[in-house]
Amino acid sequence: MKKRVFSRLLALGLALTVLAGCGNNQETTQQKTDPSQEASAEKKTFVFGDTTFNAENGIADINPHNNSGGWACIRYGVGETLFRLTDSMELEPWLAKSYERVDENTWVLTLQDGVTFTSGRAMDGEAVKECLEALADTHVRAAGDLHIQEITASGQTVTIKTEVPVPALLNYLTDPYGCIIDMEAGVSPEGIVSGTGPYEAVSLVTDTSLSLVKNENYWNGDPRIDEITVRTISDGDTLTMALQSGEIDAAYGMPYASYPLFENDAYTISGCATSRVFFGTMNFESEITSDPAVRRAIAMGIDKDSFVEVLLGGNGYPATGVFPDNFSFGGDSVTAETYDPEGAKQVLEAAGWVDADGDGVREKDGKKLVLRWLTYPSRQELPLLAEAAQDILGKIGFRVEVNSTADHGRICADPDAWDIYVSAMVTAPTGDPEYFFTYHCLDASSSNDGHYHSDRLEELAAQMARTFDTEERSRLAIQMQQTILDDNAYVFCSHLRMSMISRANVTGLTAHPSDYYEITADLDIV
Amino acid sequence: MTGKRYGRERKRDRVRIRLWIFGILAAALVLAAFFSRQLCPFDPDAQNLSMALEPPGFPHLLGTDRFGRDMLSRIIAGARVSVFSALALVAVITATGTVLGVICGYFGGLADAVMMRISDICLAFPGLVAAMGIAAVLGGGIQNAVIALAVVSWPKYARLARSQTLAVREEPYVAAARLAGGRPGQILIRHVLPNIAGSILVTALLDIGTMMMETAALSFLGLGAQPPTAEWGSMMSDGRSMLQTYPWVVLTPGGAIFLSVAIFNLLGDTLRDYLDPRRLWKKEERI
Amino acid sequence: MKKYIVKRLLWLIPIFLGITFLSFAVMRLAGGDVVQQMAENSGITLSEETLEAQREALGLDQPFLVQYLTWLGGFVTGNLGKSYVSGQEVFPAFLSRLPATLLLAVTSVALTVVISIPLGILAAVRQNRAADYLIRLVSFIGNSLPNFFVALLLMYLLAVRFPVFPVISTGTGWKSLVLPALTLAIAMSAKYLRQIRAAVLEELGKDYVTGARARGIPFSVTLRKSVLRSCLTTILTLLSLSIGSLLGGTAIVESVFMWDGVGKLAVDAIRMRDYPVIQAYVVWMAVIYVTVNLITDLSYRLLDPRIRLGGDAG
Repeated sequence: MKKRVFSRLLALGLALTVLAGCGNNQETTQQKTDPSQEASAEKKTFVFGDTTFNAENGIADINPHNNSGGWACIRYGVGETLFRLTDSMELEPWLAKSYERVDENTWVLTLQDGVTFTSGRAMDGEAVKECLEALADTHVRAAGDLHIQEITASGQTVTIKTEVPVPALLNYLTDPYGCIIDMEAGVSPEGIVSGTGPYEAVSLVTDTSLSLVKNENYWNGDPRIDEITVRTISDGDTLTMALQSGEIDAAYGMPYASYPLFENDAYTISGCATSRVFFGTMNFESEITSDPAVRRAIAMGIDKDSFVEVLLGGNGYPATGVFPDNFSFGGDSVTAETYDPEGAKQVLEAAGWVDADGDGVREKDGKKLVLRWLTYPSRQELPLLAEAAQDILGKIGFRVEVNSTADHGRICADPDAWDIYVSAMVTAPTGDPEYFFTYHCLDASSSNDGHYHSDRLEELAAQMARTFDTEERSRLAIQMQQTILDDNAYVFCSHLRMSMISRANVTGLTAHPSDYYEITADLDIV
Repeated sequence: MTGKRYGRERKRDRVRIRLWIFGILAAALVLAAFFSRQLCPFDPDAQNLSMALEPPGFPHLLGTDRFGRDMLSRIIAGARVSVFSALALVAVITATGTVLGVICGYFGGLADAVMMRISDICLAFPGLVAAMGIAAVLGGGIQNAVIALAVVSWPKYARLARSQTLAVREEPYVAAARLAGGRPGQILIRHVLPNIAGSILVTALLDIGTMMMETAALSFLGLGAQPPTAEWGSMMSDGRSMLQTYPWVVLTPGGAIFLSVAIFNLLGDTLRDYLDPRRLWKKEERI
Repeated sequence: MKKYIVKRLLWLIPIFLGITFLSFAVMRLAGGDVVQQMAENSGITLSEETLEAQREALGLDQPFLVQYLTWLGGFVTGNLGKSYVSGQEVFPAFLSRLPATLLLAVTSVALTVVISIPLGILAAVRQNRAADYLIRLVSFIGNSLPNFFVALLLMYLLAVRFPVFPVISTGTGWKSLVLPALTLAIAMSAKYLRQIRAAVLEELGKDYVTGARARGIPFSVTLRKSVLRSCLTTILTLLSLSIGSLLGGTAIVESVFMWDGVGKLAVDAIRMRDYPVIQAYVVWMAVIYVTVNLITDLSYRLLDPRIRLGGDAG
């Protein structure tokens, strides 16, 4: 009897082992690859941890034509654009050698010679034409920016004809969606594309990792790292500890709370101001924020200095308008409401918002001053801003209801679901001011979620669309910013200081104000 | 023989004392949660960014968080949300489960069969997995977290109550009450419930800790309490990035969870010992 | 016994229908307009006609019950639809990550057994002495820390302070398995320690132990040969009960350690409200849970002759 029980136990144990075996398959295949790695021990490898490389941020893969995939394509050194931005956000040639504007609607670009895709195909006019046509067909924002009518190619030149004058065309081509990829090689089911950059993508798992190898035939330098792994690490603490333990060599998206751990000789922090701005969009369909007095009170009720100093830990700059200081049309060239809680109370009082029932929340015509604050958690500072505003606006007489959700993209399309939408966006990704307004503030904008409308702004925007002169564009940009600030249609809190933290032996990894370029041919481990 | 009896009596006394101690502690915790607003030295939601992340000291005994809010006050205020939501949750599932289980167990028949099949299906979902699914559907917030956990937890009590009722139903005193013409409602309340209440109470007390853990897990996923609500689980989850730099922000709510889970668990254990003396004397062989 | 097995297997059918129906109904109620959502996620603006055509193609104009049956048919044949976010087929993505989760679950169960049985027995044997109190205190602590926090503590101690194990799973070798499995095992062990202690205490109180002692059989032999064996059923029951919370727990632990299993997939999906993925996860976890329970139940019957002879009651 005892023996039988025992044999059955044994059987059960066997069953468990088999079950465990199912999972082990994966491990054995990996062990097979191990010896090859050991054989070439001098191989240089680099692991990069990134909190934003995920589907939540629209970066499910590295296909520039799919949503924001271009960001991964350009950041990790897979793709390159026709023009790039310098450290002072000015245009310079990249895959294009030079350009000529024949008339308002026609541009002729001459491409670099001797550039090949990692697929082996030469990058010529035909390849660029195919890529840009595919882009215009599949990417809504790109199509709206570029207004391409026709592209013709011959040899190393590409002629782009636009439907309307697009003064900022070359700037738009620096946007990550403009990465030039080989359309003949196409997009693999995992979302891998073939570009011209220093590194070639070999495998990709959405929300998990991307493996890159050195592009031996790179046209513009000699990449030094043999293998690169980009790891999606969504959790900030995991990222912190992975860098501390040395499992990753560099990190993007480190929580500010962790900075003190890396402010020493063992690590390098490379940071610079970007045009990414934390800002609130007012909903003009809402009963609350359609009231100019309410919008003004909100603008006066946000303590930008404390937000930057305490909650961002000094990693930012208080914002006035859309663009940061280092732009000729940014910083102090415009004026906005300043922090003045007492003044905000008076504004509300004068507009008839009073707290008659003494519950601390003002009301007018039976409506409570309840502000539905929509934001999202993937930028860790946004929920903090919401919580800080909740307290400070609460003292002014608002009741702020925060909805912080990854689902914000869908909710903000529904004008009945929110009053203020607070996000962190790059306002001049390509160095040109037009982008922000055409994308966010006009009747025709794809992201005018608050349904803001201003006759004057439409007029100025139409004017800018026809203006090729850079200085004149700057002047218009200032006027346009002032218009939306006077309407308090948006409230700008702070510009972000973007930083990458790496181990001290990593060189050539520098933060760029555009936030585009991270892994380049300069990257090395010494 | 007498010596041994004396020993048993002493053990029983000791259990009684322990029961009192943990009972009082649990009551104190619930009272503190109830009067939390009065007990807080500062307004738990009042921010003061110039005092952010002060280490424990004076006047902020447990330090401040990154909004400059007093941690001690937030811990006390958090007791209200954390302890009450766990208690409310356990109370709801215990009550629903017990009522359904007792009725099914006592009357049997079609209702019993249907109810048990429903509970089978609910039990088929692993607790936290289903709670995650439900909370994802309902959206964040402590109420939704409680609802999600309640939906998946009640069948356990229905099962327990039913099997206990089945056992009690055949006891002579219940049969006697039935023969004497007692109405079913009376019999259930007077004879069945009191006899099964003990084991259900013990299970419920031990479950309070589990529920606090699962609420914390939902908070980590962003499906728990929303700001600025002070709730221990979400305080831990929000402060976890400061473990190495400003540890008090995460350790104090962690300590609060530990203390309250420990109190309820110890109370549950002691109550079980008290109600089930065989466990202490460990003599009789059970079948 | 055979009859019993057949009965249990047949009973799986209504359970399965119940599980799928409930999940389908809840997700459909909450999911809103699938077509609209897919369009918004891909960032493409479509005309109302195109949307209508897509709805028809997906069968969303059909009555609810028909939709359910269609979906069920898809589920059985491994067609779970496409993710709203990535646009990829859900089932292959799910299936490719399932082994990782099972490996994690099985390892943490094994670790739990390794931790909780010896400590539980030790606590019982040294009842009310220092070792017992210490073990119980530790079990209380393990029982009252949320697992994301345990994960962080372990990471800090065993990866940063004393770099023994890696923080993020790199997929190479057993080392990256240790921390996530340990995190799960700590919570479970804390629970089972106390139960095993109680079971052993009860067993030790039985007459045969006293008898064996009186006959001069070494205590360790009694412990190994009799006490441990009679505690096995207790342990087995505990483990089957814990599979539920284990499967839920893997979700959080996987996403903290970047362990590429179905739990992490589900957590990412929950953040994005990607209902097809959440649905697949919930239903599949329920199916696995029910299956594991059935297996333990049957093996329990094999192990315990009293139940086997007692027939089908209960």
